[in-house]
Amino acid sequence: MSTTPARRWIDRWNAYWFPATPIRHLAICRIVAVGAQLIWFFPDLEEHRNLLRKNPEFIEPQLIIRAISAIVPRDLFFTPDAFTLLYWVTAIAGISALVGFYTRTSLLVFALGTWIFVSHLFSYGDRHHTEAVFAIFLMLLVIAPSGESLSVDALIRRRRGAADPVSSRTAQSEMAVWPLKVAHVLLAMTYFSAGMSKMLFSGLRWMNGYTLQGHTLGDALERGHPVGIWLAQQHTLAVALSVFTILLELFFFLSLFLPRLAPLFFLGALGFQVGLYVTAGYDFFQHMVLLTLLLFFLYPAWWQTWLARRHLTGTPRLRGEEAAAQPR
Amino acid sequence: MLKPKTLISVVIVLVIGLHAVPVLYRKERGTFWPFMQWSMYKNSRQAGPIEVRQRRMLAITSKGAIDTVTPRLVGLSITVLQASYLKPIGSGDLSPVPELIQRLNRHRDDPVVELRLESEIYTVTDTGIARRDEPVVTYRADSPDSR
Repeated sequence: MSTTPARRWIDRWNAYWFPATPIRHLAICRIVAVGAQLIWFFPDLEEHRNLLRKNPEFIEPQLIIRAISAIVPRDLFFTPDAFTLLYWVTAIAGISALVGFYTRTSLLVFALGTWIFVSHLFSYGDRHHTEAVFAIFLMLLVIAPSGESLSVDALIRRRRGAADPVSSRTAQSEMAVWPLKVAHVLLAMTYFSAGMSKMLFSGLRWMNGYTLQGHTLGDALERGHPVGIWLAQQHTLAVALSVFTILLELFFFLSLFLPRLAPLFFLGALGFQVGLYVTAGYDFFQHMVLLTLLLFFLYPAWWQTWLARRHLTGTPRLRGEEAAAQPR
Repeated sequence: MLKPKTLISVVIVLVIGLHAVPVLYRKERGTFWPFMQWSMYKNSRQAGPIEVRQRRMLAITSKGAIDTVTPRLVGLSITVLQASYLKPIGSGDLSPVPELIQRLNRHRDDPVVELRLESEIYTVTDTGIARRDEPVVTYRADSPDSR
């Protein structure tokens, strides 16, 4: 039987984005991502109220803010009171999404609220990169079956007899891993874009060590990071770390094509992000959470194999110990 | 009706493709969040002494209270505060001073009457980091001349 080239491409596409994976892994991703956003990255309400009180106009409104302004009058929505209400609605939706109660709806409200808060913060002439990919990932969880396991929704379904408790523990879905895959592609794009812009703008001079020393000293002094102040005085180390930065940013995308090595790329990137924070206070915590999720759940074979080996080697020893403990 | 895989495939293409907008369409470069271009820390530095300048601006009120001028105090982002006020004032351009004082006094009972710009330069040397204080520059609300 012959297949058309178009069919082959579609099959390849489906094989990449939609392999069957455990829905429990996606549920853990939901819990970790929503929990991190709720506890760690949740908007500072007072900061938003302060901006609204002190600025009658936006300086550079983000697309989402412009879209809302086109529908709702500014003096109705962009007020401290309206934002206080939005804050609590988002928080309640977040808690509901965390426990998986009306998961899809609560995730949608939570992600939308998060998008509005971040867009609002970045409508006053400033913007940062830390939140973007993570916010997209939160929105993708709305479409994926994130509440099929480890959720109140799943519990209710089981109570009603609509789901088998044993199969829900081991159940797999073809729709359970694509949000992680999108996050992986986006991270690869962002790293590549960051690396390429350094190369196109500054060329090899970016790796002369002086560049990293200068960036680190300024930011470490301002944010009070003693490790960065120390690093700014180590020229050779700064050269080595500059080369590592460029190599990681330019070649992280290879992890898309080398699934067996991908966990090593994730570990490298995680170390890179932690290093950036410790030395200069670049707080890409959202990237760290995403990289950790990718490390454990995109290609979980490494730790599953390790666990299986441990189980296999542990059992006989345990039996041996039991036998030794038996009275002769 | 679209099958779930087709629908999700459209979402995937859209999410990845929208990242091209801020790269190709200059007007939306900074206002298309969460779809952004990622040219961070692209500037390089020539070989030579590592020097950085740290600046802070203090606001003194009519009752003598002293506040550090922070983004939160002014109600602006750090980027705008730096670009519109701290950098020009630090380089001797006093034209933004009245506007900054006006902004600071917008919701205050005890008005700011004086701004003080303090700065120091840190240099990496063979024996550690050397600090050099620069002269403090003061601006009165009633007169934008520096003292």
